Amino acid sequence: MKFEEIKELVKLINESNINEMKFEKDGTVLSLKKAAEVQHQALPVSQQPVIERQVAPVVAAQAPIIEAEPKQSIEENTYVIKAPMVGTFYRSPSPEQPSYVDLGSKIQPNTTVCLLEAMKLFNEIEAEVSGEIIEIHVQAGQLVEFGQPLFTVKL
Amino acid sequence: MQTSTIQKLIFLLVNNDNEFLSGQKLSAELGVSRTAVWKHIEELRKEGYDIEAVARKGYKLLSIPDAITAKEILNNLSTNIFGKDIFFYQVVTSTQKIATEMAMSGAAEGTVIVAEEQTEGRGRLQRKWHTPSGNSVAMSIIIRPRILLSSTPHFTLLVAVSIVKAIKDISTLNPKIKWPNDILINGKKSVGILTELNAEADQINFLIVGIGINVNQVIDDLPKEIQNIATSLAIEDGKKFRRAELIRSILTNLEYFYEKYIKEGFTSIKDIWEKESCTIGENIIAKTSLETIEGRAVGITNDGILLLEDKEGNIHNIISGDIFIDTK
Repeated sequence: MKFEEIKELVKLINESNINEMKFEKDGTVLSLKKAAEVQHQALPVSQQPVIERQVAPVVAAQAPIIEAEPKQSIEENTYVIKAPMVGTFYRSPSPEQPSYVDLGSKIQPNTTVCLLEAMKLFNEIEAEVSGEIIEIHVQAGQLVEFGQPLFTVKL
Repeated sequence: MQTSTIQKLIFLLVNNDNEFLSGQKLSAELGVSRTAVWKHIEELRKEGYDIEAVARKGYKLLSIPDAITAKEILNNLSTNIFGKDIFFYQVVTSTQKIATEMAMSGAAEGTVIVAEEQTEGRGRLQRKWHTPSGNSVAMSIIIRPRILLSSTPHFTLLVAVSIVKAIKDISTLNPKIKWPNDILINGKKSVGILTELNAEADQINFLIVGIGINVNQVIDDLPKEIQNIATSLAIEDGKKFRRAELIRSILTNLEYFYEKYIKEGFTSIKDIWEKESCTIGENIIAKTSLETIEGRAVGITNDGILLLEDKEGNIHNIISGDIFIDTK
């Protein structure tokens, strides 16, 4: 993804009512979140004029946080699915088939989330928890090490 | 293992195939009536056993069918683990699927699922694997090893070594292993092995080793598009094989190398793998879904990972992918 595209996306989000979004393309995961919400925004519309002066300048302060690293402490109720072995990471049973899961997929403990291959041994990884996939850390086809984070699940 | 009457009857016939066995003798040996003996003989005939019956002399076995039924495989099988339970099917979607279901419902280690024909036989990444009826072998074996999950890929190399030895034991062929576990005869593939691991977190539930072998196909039996890269044991050796004997040989060798692995660790398997491999020292093209790496195969690690040295002298660890041996 080009920097220009990210800039454009950030701008669009700033101007929108969206507080948080996740975007994925060709294995690149971009997670955008506006900074702490201004309390006043929750106030009824009729009262807006009163706080208008405070809201307007906030745009700069709301600069989205771009997360490149696996998020750890931002959301407390998350679980990270890790690789139990060294292997090649696949998101579908074969290149022609749809992904086991995508961002936003609701999962159960026995939901298969990905496939790992090492020397023609295949291991379908199950989620082990219930929740929603909010982050995919690895690109399809990539080599993963033992213990490497694969997915973050919102519990 | 309980031996059924019919199993004992086959044993007696096979081991006395140069003489007639009287109905009276068989009746005494098997502990059943002469009428029951006659009924069992009829049953065997229906399965393709050619049995001659002569009045006042008895029965004589002329030929046995090239069947891969449990009965046929169990005849003279002396393993303790592999093949203790054998389930034969005429047609299945895939033996892997059946084996997985059985393992999930608690089937014992060493259970073997074998089929004459698969309608959905699959190889790596869901590629089609052909198992036509009557001349090939499709089987899946349940293994429940008490090892670390990260060590399970060792099994794919272990199985390759077992099958190479098994083929050598019953033929004049010189099969070679292409990393990690394709088995080539005169450079063409005749055996495909695919292993599936079922685990919860880091706990191994079971491994299912799937083995597909082209045994008695003639060249025209192979799909056109793979005739230049695939072969069968019969094509290369110029003679037909008894598939049950091949399966017995595989189960026997598998048990030997499994016990060796548990006792001595992977290095004992690695040494044999290297001797039987046609990969080490060759120029290799490794294609993964993300990249293609060319280099000379300089060895495998103590975990079986292929080491490729490129032109610049960098070593690449290959953990999976399509491997092509560059014969230029």
